[in-house]
Amino acid sequence: MTPMTRATAVVTALAAALALTACSSKAKSDNDSDNGGGDAKGVKTGDGISGKTITLGALTDMTGVYATLGKSVTQAQQLYVKQVNAAGGICGHRLKLQVRDHGYDPQKAVAAYTELEPDVLGYAQFIGSPFVAAVKDRVDGQDKGLVLPQAWSANLLGSPYVRVIGSTYDIETINAIDFLMKEKGLKKGDKLGHVYFEGDYGENALKGSRHMAEKSGLSVVEQKIKPTDNDMTAQVAALKKAGVDAVVISAGPRQAASLVGVAAATKLDVPVIGNNSAFAPQLLGTQAGPALTKNYYVASPTLPIGAATPAAKKLVADYRKAHPKDALDNGVVAGWTAASVFGEALKKACAAKDLTREGVDKALLTIDAYDAGFGARQNFTDPKAPSSKETAILKPDKSATGGMTVEREPGASKEARAYTPGS
Amino acid sequence: MSEVPVSETRSPSGRRHPKRPRRLMPPRRLMRPRAVKRPSGRVAARTFLKRPRAYAWAAGSVLLLALPFYLDRFWLQAGLFAMAAAIGAIGINLLTGATGQLSMGHAFFLAVGAYGYCVFAGEGDGLTGLGLPTWLAAVLAVLLAGAAGGLFSPIAGRLRGAYLGIATLALIFIGQHVLFNAGDLTGGSNGRAVPPLSLFGLTFDDREVVVAAVPFGSAEKLWYAGLVLLLGCGLFARGVLRGRPGRALNAIRDHRVAAGVLGVPVARYRAGVFVLSSMYAGLAGVLLALVFQRTVPDYFGMTLSLEYLAMIVIGGLGSVAGAVAGAFLVSLLPQLLTRYSEALHLVSAPGTGGIAPGEASRYLYGAAVVAVVLFLPGGLISVAARRPRSIPGEEA
Repeated sequence: MTPMTRATAVVTALAAALALTACSSKAKSDNDSDNGGGDAKGVKTGDGISGKTITLGALTDMTGVYATLGKSVTQAQQLYVKQVNAAGGICGHRLKLQVRDHGYDPQKAVAAYTELEPDVLGYAQFIGSPFVAAVKDRVDGQDKGLVLPQAWSANLLGSPYVRVIGSTYDIETINAIDFLMKEKGLKKGDKLGHVYFEGDYGENALKGSRHMAEKSGLSVVEQKIKPTDNDMTAQVAALKKAGVDAVVISAGPRQAASLVGVAAATKLDVPVIGNNSAFAPQLLGTQAGPALTKNYYVASPTLPIGAATPAAKKLVADYRKAHPKDALDNGVVAGWTAASVFGEALKKACAAKDLTREGVDKALLTIDAYDAGFGARQNFTDPKAPSSKETAILKPDKSATGGMTVEREPGASKEARAYTPGS
Repeated sequence: MSEVPVSETRSPSGRRHPKRPRRLMPPRRLMRPRAVKRPSGRVAARTFLKRPRAYAWAAGSVLLLALPFYLDRFWLQAGLFAMAAAIGAIGINLLTGATGQLSMGHAFFLAVGAYGYCVFAGEGDGLTGLGLPTWLAAVLAVLLAGAAGGLFSPIAGRLRGAYLGIATLALIFIGQHVLFNAGDLTGGSNGRAVPPLSLFGLTFDDREVVVAAVPFGSAEKLWYAGLVLLLGCGLFARGVLRGRPGRALNAIRDHRVAAGVLGVPVARYRAGVFVLSSMYAGLAGVLLALVFQRTVPDYFGMTLSLEYLAMIVIGGLGSVAGAVAGAFLVSLLPQLLTRYSEALHLVSAPGTGGIAPGEASRYLYGAAVVAVVLFLPGGLISVAARRPRSIPGEEA
């Protein structure tokens, strides 16, 4: 073959390849410029709705570090979908939850987002704030589907499509310190210990305690830890040496149990309060159990699963029936709340006869006082603010459902009301 | 460690060795030292075109070039992850496979490349950024990774095998600490946005460019960039491995003292290959960052380093094709298993109890690694290498 014929062969091959693309399903033809459609009742539909089914995505973590949370959130959302479908669906459409487990691996999380994106209306669950941040530009720029992350970092605020449900960690911490000051004798000039995880969660919570310390004349003794640190002996020793009068912990359940247990053993008798991720009902069965029931409190954006509201009681009964072996924790509440917020937005969008992504986004912006049955009112009208600034204070209690009772009803302190996240 | 038969060490001392072949893909038998008189280029090309392998290459290339016109973004993205992984794997294969130097710090150099690119190219997002043209930033990021490798080379040149592995382990921990805490530079735990690459007026971002009626987003455009980079990296590494440096590296791996006696400057070669491998990792990091569109510190941990080691063990130590094959298997398998978890009946739907798809994909991945190590000790590439061939072990 001479160079000439070789060149011809190459050109022919390229031409053939380009000709073939004429039948590619990706090719844009003239008549699908408007890919929206409508159903019999004149409701506009778009991505994520095919026939009579609305598909929602759930990017969860069932095999990684947030496995317990992911499992509870997902099972609660599946329960919600099942109940909605049993009651006839929304707008005459059935809901379908498409779940992908990313195991807290950035590559899998981004891949799963990309995979589901063309087929879903939005995401009712997205665990892992770094991954939400990774796709945020795409959500804002092109996809424009609603994403409800199961992460409460203020860094996620500001997008009209990525909406944090409930108070963010900084606001939660402000309310937690407010509780310590009003009810646990912490006063101006006192020292407050703050043990926090390196990373988004801990650092966001620390912003809250620094802000509150400045406003209320406290000084913060900071102790940064890594998620792999499980023994808090060194931190307790440091806090004791500094002479703290109360401790905030923004870490995981294990660290909280270790901190409270070690503090009790070394006679550091001060109140300890944790963010909502710093407790699991299983802890009460451990050696740290008695110390936890005595000195430990948990700040939470909603009432606990064992609350006395009718919605909570029904959810407990239904969830127990569906998953008799699984623990009832706050993940169930978070998952249920997110799914029902999405459902509420869908209902509003249906009333406005627009079930496209745009329609659902608009519908969510009109929801200003939604209560999924767990005490806190959610207001979604401002994308720059979290949907609520209220925090409930809970106390571990072995006999209660889900291991927690309400110490103080949901409410926002005056500092929290005046606080703007991200400032 | 000796995956390659000793034919390599039989070759004469470096000085009188034939020069590295200049052509792109010389017939294998032309690689025989000195004895064969080289035919002219035209003849070589003719022999080349007579072989079915040439047509397989041509068909493969056309297929790869056409894929962006058909595949979804998911597949293109998965392919791009695999290409980036392949570049990184080629790099670590030069170090671990060809030279026998174990490195656990590959993820660190990937991070240097990825974050280096962001810092050089980034501008106006509240973080430190130099705002350089993005192509320059990409080149500088690769050089930066090389420089980081160079800084480590006094250690890399002196330590061998598992000892270097332990030393490089430190890099991972230092790297993670810096990534999480140097907030102004790295954006902390939420990472920082990656500016899209711009080359000759073409920007690899999500603005749609319609080519032959197919809208091209970032994944489609990057696909071609990835192919070019992978091809370039593959050919360069192949050249290194087949030429004099490659023989020196293999000699160091197989018998360090003998290599030294033959006149190979052992420490210098070790340090040099460490720098080269870091630059490959840096380039892989840049490409990964461009695909992710955001760099997150969680990614560049211990697991990533282990994955790269798994890639070269599965693919085949010391060969470029092996590294590429291993990289594709290791980075695609988990994604495929997650995607098709519902169709595979051995797993239950997420949330219903039983084995979750994520777990199942890990089991299968583990089983694949064990199976390859048990039944294909030379890696995937040994399947291809079983065909009769004049010089065994020349596969590179």
